Amino acid sequence: MPLILAVDDSPSMRKMVSFTLAGAGYQVVEAVDGIDAYEKAQSQTFDLVLTDQNMPRLDGLGLTRKLREHPNFKTTPILMLTTESSDMMKQAGRAAGATGWLVKPFDPARLLEVIKKVIK
Amino acid sequence: MTEGHQESGGGDSFDLSQFYQIFFEEAGENLDLMEQMLLNLNLETADDEELNGIFRCAHSVKGGAATFGFADVAELTHQMESLLDRLRRHELQPNPMMVDVLLESADASRVLLARHQTGETGEPPSNADLVRRISELAAGGAPAPAAAPPAPAPVVAPPVPVPVAAPAPLSANPGVRQLEIRMGPLERPDQVDGVKDLFRDIVGLGSVAEVASGRADTRVFHATTSSSNEDLLDLFAFHVSREQVNIREMGAAAPGAATWTDRDDPPPGAPVAPAPGFGFFEGAPGVPTGGAAAVTVEATEARPAAAKTGAAKPAPSPVAAQPEAATIRVAISKVDQLINLVGELVITQAMLAQNSQTLDPAANQQLMAGLADLDRNTRDLQESVMSIRMIPMSIVFSRFPRMLRDLASKLGKKVEFVTQGEATELDKGLVEKITDPLTHLVRNSCDHGIEMPADRVAAGKPETGTITLSAAHQGGSIVIEVRDDGRGLSREKILNKARERGLEVSDQMSDGDVWQLIFAPGFSTAEVVTDVSGRGVGMDVVKKNIAALNGTVEIDSSEGYGMRVSVRLPLTLAIMDGMSVGVGDEVYILPLSSVVESFQVKDDAVNTVAQGSRLVKVRDEYMPVIELEKVFQVPRYDGGKSSDIMVVVEAEGSRVALLVDELLGQQQVVVKNLETNYRKVPNVSGATILGDGKVALILDTSTLVRRSRH
Repeated sequence: MPLILAVDDSPSMRKMVSFTLAGAGYQVVEAVDGIDAYEKAQSQTFDLVLTDQNMPRLDGLGLTRKLREHPNFKTTPILMLTTESSDMMKQAGRAAGATGWLVKPFDPARLLEVIKKVIK
Repeated sequence: MTEGHQESGGGDSFDLSQFYQIFFEEAGENLDLMEQMLLNLNLETADDEELNGIFRCAHSVKGGAATFGFADVAELTHQMESLLDRLRRHELQPNPMMVDVLLESADASRVLLARHQTGETGEPPSNADLVRRISELAAGGAPAPAAAPPAPAPVVAPPVPVPVAAPAPLSANPGVRQLEIRMGPLERPDQVDGVKDLFRDIVGLGSVAEVASGRADTRVFHATTSSSNEDLLDLFAFHVSREQVNIREMGAAAPGAATWTDRDDPPPGAPVAPAPGFGFFEGAPGVPTGGAAAVTVEATEARPAAAKTGAAKPAPSPVAAQPEAATIRVAISKVDQLINLVGELVITQAMLAQNSQTLDPAANQQLMAGLADLDRNTRDLQESVMSIRMIPMSIVFSRFPRMLRDLASKLGKKVEFVTQGEATELDKGLVEKITDPLTHLVRNSCDHGIEMPADRVAAGKPETGTITLSAAHQGGSIVIEVRDDGRGLSREKILNKARERGLEVSDQMSDGDVWQLIFAPGFSTAEVVTDVSGRGVGMDVVKKNIAALNGTVEIDSSEGYGMRVSVRLPLTLAIMDGMSVGVGDEVYILPLSSVVESFQVKDDAVNTVAQGSRLVKVRDEYMPVIELEKVFQVPRYDGGKSSDIMVVVEAEGSRVALLVDELLGQQQVVVKNLETNYRKVPNVSGATILGDGKVALILDTSTLVRRSRH
């Protein structure tokens, strides 16, 4: 059963994502920002990380960079959930080591579709 | 369906409405936080952290509103976010007009959200003027004051060229471009009617004209705009999803030089794939190998034309770790039920303790030890449970910065608002009831207390007045103070006014007694009744409200220097310190806070005056006597004995002496509401169950005192 880490500082978004993923049979762990997510990553190995970009304490890009430095997360799919898909954001995402992005707002069906492509 | 709300596309099997409530609460909190941060923002030295924080609030509300289909909220917060984005990138310097328009926009967003939450139908309020002001500020201009609501647009709107507002456009995209915007395939072609409205309503967006598309399910517009494709797609997102929009720059020399977005038809030669709204980075870790034809692989080059100009976005620095409080949301009814049950437990435990007093301790050692433990555990449990309903005063304080800012500005005064003791906790039930009286006191300080800046300077005071709101625990009470450094109360004016109103006053009255006069009904020394306060209905209601909470109000003032109002409240409504008195076989409880003194009395000290009312002389004062036996018609079975103990109580500024048989003691009682279990009883404010199982009525000293006046 694949384990997904869903990171977003918005409770309603987190709930929506968790609910959608759980409904599709995935196991989900929620984190409220980059720091929380990174701490959780110390004790569990995730099959996929979904992260919002704008968060307090440590944002999506920062989290991605830190995860890529961690031995367990060098090749884990990391998807950025971002409201802007400007080239600059994409460049930054690529530079941080993200696997790809998903534009917000997205609907649950889209989310599952994208996840299916990357999760092993 | 509420105006401005659309279900998110493709969500047949996903019901997002279950998340709405969470979103409404979250959005409310974000808007509150945003308002707080805006009020605290130092315009000259605003730092990245503050600006980023405010941006994130708007961004978060916008994201949620868009996800859950609240288009009107999303549009407005999107505008706010654009302005805030420019601010956090230091492309603009914050100024008071921006703070004002953002505060007003937050208010407007709250209104829109409330409409969705309650399911209101009908025409939503128009925010076109707010949007206009935001755009002009974002473009670096100074907008004209709020215009009257615009006249409704003509039904058939010919393409009217809207003047571009200012050199610096909404988003930093160089130059004005001619775009062809194709929208399709559309399930309902009329769903994009709103696109033309966007160009009409949003100043600086540009102009648009529709052209024939040649297909029933497609609509094509030609637009002249300086906005970026991203911004346009964002705006259109509320009418049509991104994948159905294709933006192409017209007049391009060759297809390869056109500005494509990743939603466009792919450049020639690339596999034809539907634009997906997601993508993967070529060669990045975790990218799926082989297979999915629908995957759009991102080119490594950034396209210069689409890159945002302006300062590089500052990387948000990690904030020092704040303690993340784990909380859960619980329905208040559950908490109240819990408190009730614990109250019952306390009563039962008291009963056991009482009954065990007749037992022989030596023979029942274990039982006694167990009961002692029970006593301790029950006390701890009670404290713990009562603390669940305790919330910090900051909740009450939070409304004042904004209120004072608006009020001071309206009155032309300069006021600084200081709070102390925000972390002091208070029972939730009390918080709700104390808010109105406190609001009145604070408004009073601002309206009547703090002088106009010129007057203050003339008096040698700093131009900006200070109003301080503080809260602290003192013994079993909470003391809340409203202090100001304004003109203070005028003893002379108050005495004159009191005389005017026919109140008994003398020049020998102490200052404290003079200040108490302002609590008399209808009393107001304001020369002009402003709509702020000054109708004279305020202070007496304040005192009444506080008395209803078993609290007291005191005033201290120094003419020319300022005034201080101190409100003292018991920590909770549910438990009270009481003095129990016996009348016949009955036990009555008096709120300890209203008991002044008690003494034994001889018959000859009590004088009977006209109409059978009796007075007793206490030192130099005569006060009315109330015989509880008569008031409550307590039957007497032991003929000879008569009451000979007086308990002096004070309420609403007056004192009376209650005639009782005996003083039984002081204790903490759990207050039970009579009205919910029976009905409202005169002279009684509640009831409690004593250790021996008897019911004792808790007396309402205010009504008893009023009785004596008739």
